[in-house]
Amino acid sequence: MTTPPPDHLRLTRVDTGDRVRIELDGDLDHDTADLLVNEATAQLSTRPGLGHLHLHCGGLGTIDSMGLSALLMISRRTAAAEVRLHLEDRPANLDQLLRLTGTFDHLTAPSPTGAAEDSTHEEEATVFRPHRPDAGT
Amino acid sequence: MDHTRARTIAKPDAEFPWGTAPYPVLVVDIDGALVQRNEAAAVLLPHAAPGTTLVDVAPAWLAAAHRTVLRFGPHGAPEADPGPSGVIGGRRFEAHPSVRDDGAVAWWLVDDTDHQLVRDALHMERKRTAFLAEASSALLSTLNVGRCMDVTAQMAVECLADAALAIAPAHGRRLSVVTCLRGGVPELSHHSVDPDDVPGLGEALRGFPPVPARWIDPSTAPQWLVPEGFGPVGSIVITPLPGHGVPAGALVLLRRAKTDSFSDEEEVFARLFAARAGAALSAARLYAEQSAITEVLMRELLPPTLRQVAGVDFAGRYRPSADHERIGGDFYDVHPATEGDAALVTLGDVCGKGLEAAVLTGKVRSTLHALLPLADDHQRMLSLLNTALLNSHHARFATLVLASAELRGNEVDLKLTSAGHPPPLIIRGDGTVEEADTRGTLVGAIPEISARTAAVTLAPGECCVLYTDGITEARGGPMGDVLFGDERLKRALSACAGMTAEGIVDHVQMLAAQWLGDRRHDDMAVVVIAAPRTHHLSAVNGHTRGRFTG
Repeated sequence: MTTPPPDHLRLTRVDTGDRVRIELDGDLDHDTADLLVNEATAQLSTRPGLGHLHLHCGGLGTIDSMGLSALLMISRRTAAAEVRLHLEDRPANLDQLLRLTGTFDHLTAPSPTGAAEDSTHEEEATVFRPHRPDAGT
Repeated sequence: MDHTRARTIAKPDAEFPWGTAPYPVLVVDIDGALVQRNEAAAVLLPHAAPGTTLVDVAPAWLAAAHRTVLRFGPHGAPEADPGPSGVIGGRRFEAHPSVRDDGAVAWWLVDDTDHQLVRDALHMERKRTAFLAEASSALLSTLNVGRCMDVTAQMAVECLADAALAIAPAHGRRLSVVTCLRGGVPELSHHSVDPDDVPGLGEALRGFPPVPARWIDPSTAPQWLVPEGFGPVGSIVITPLPGHGVPAGALVLLRRAKTDSFSDEEEVFARLFAARAGAALSAARLYAEQSAITEVLMRELLPPTLRQVAGVDFAGRYRPSADHERIGGDFYDVHPATEGDAALVTLGDVCGKGLEAAVLTGKVRSTLHALLPLADDHQRMLSLLNTALLNSHHARFATLVLASAELRGNEVDLKLTSAGHPPPLIIRGDGTVEEADTRGTLVGAIPEISARTAAVTLAPGECCVLYTDGITEARGGPMGDVLFGDERLKRALSACAGMTAEGIVDHVQMLAAQWLGDRRHDDMAVVVIAAPRTHHLSAVNGHTRGRFTG
């Protein structure tokens, strides 16, 4: 599935078993945030057996506050559907935004079922979550 | 010799070959006396027997045409192009002359009544279409309700009636009415009347359900409906102005007793005009409502003017985004210290733009205000704010900085907490710029949040800068597309050591504006908290007002 360029964000979907991978190309901002939320929501509602949603962020350009809001909304919906959200191949500007806004753990930490398997971010986790190491569950 | 089929078949008189021609033919000599006529002419003009004069038996226009032909020849008349034509016996005829050798003229009369009717109808339709096009552009060129009402009344009298009243949907029991007489100027008046007293007006003004145009008996019309000096009313029609889901008002058309009453076509035309006027009026009304809302919100959301509070200097500046959505997502407030507490500064940025962002900004500011008694405990304040903002419909969030400032001696103690916001920058006396060591989660999107507070002390002349990312993310510079960025801001602030709070705020806004040039930008807000350079009366505790210091 490919959306036309005027939106400045191109979504490419790859389905494999209980996983859906959406590749993001372009800017995730005020104009395009809804596009991603709608696509992710559609996948969650039409595929009951879905276990993992991978957002491949390598092609992302600018990400503004509405873009972050979109990721937070998707995270909320995946948690409700007991689907694990993976933000993969994150560019530096996305990581920086997640760190600044204190949402890094929430959006990258292991989800409902996960234990602390994702230990690479543990150090940041203690920095950003001094009081609630279980944030995001 | 010319020939017609009729001549061949009927073997007519060689002198007058048109005896049975289907069109009336009259032969008139150079003295205006009738020489011959055919059967069709005898039916049309029974008195036009040979020997009579044309002036006596035929309409004046035909006699005049005859004289013209005699003087100028059949094709020489000054305005020969449309040819002579006129009415005979209630029908319309074109008269075609052919001059004989002896100077007599044979007049062929061709009935073009139907043709003329079609031409008239076409002409009328063209006029109406042009009028509607003109009405549309006049109406749509303004989003001002009053002007729209004026144009509606004025255009309606131009083409539809002797007087027109544009009536706005009722607010309470007062009706706003714009009245216009033909050739006059529209005038606004207000009437404390019940529209339901006029048959059909109440329904038309409510706008729903849609009602057709309605005739009312002129004798039942209340006095206010008839303009002063109008004279006896012949007919009144009340047409609703259909809006986009909102009542747009009603149009009342009045004709004098001596003017024709409305034909079916005119009613259709009036409806077409009403549809255009209604669309324009409701658009103007919606726009007026929208801009009133924006106005109210703007007034509420404008950041306060800052000054010295309890011995601490504050300065703030806000430059809204130049985008058409005038209300931005940045905000700041300074809450003066209450007994023994520190003053609380809040500065933040709400995600998104426009009305939704404005509503969220209002919510953040008023919630923080309500939570002021807890200002000592930033974590608790943020956690409560977060809960208040969480919304299942969207994940719109706010990032903000809380700064508690308290004068202690001649130093200012600060407690700084960032909730997902760029940390405040401290300008030390020697020009060093430090980033406050505070981090935290944005509010309004995640159920559980956390934050770490930094404690900072400002010596006299030092200050703390709170800003929104509109500054650091301003794109511009010599290359046109470079971020202003944290480092550039820090370098700029380093040069500001020792400046007043006002001066720093102005300087930062000026640098950002220069960087941007005339490119579009996000909201930009800056607040500076400064420890006054010369603080006298250091023995007095920090709650003393500046007035004691002279």
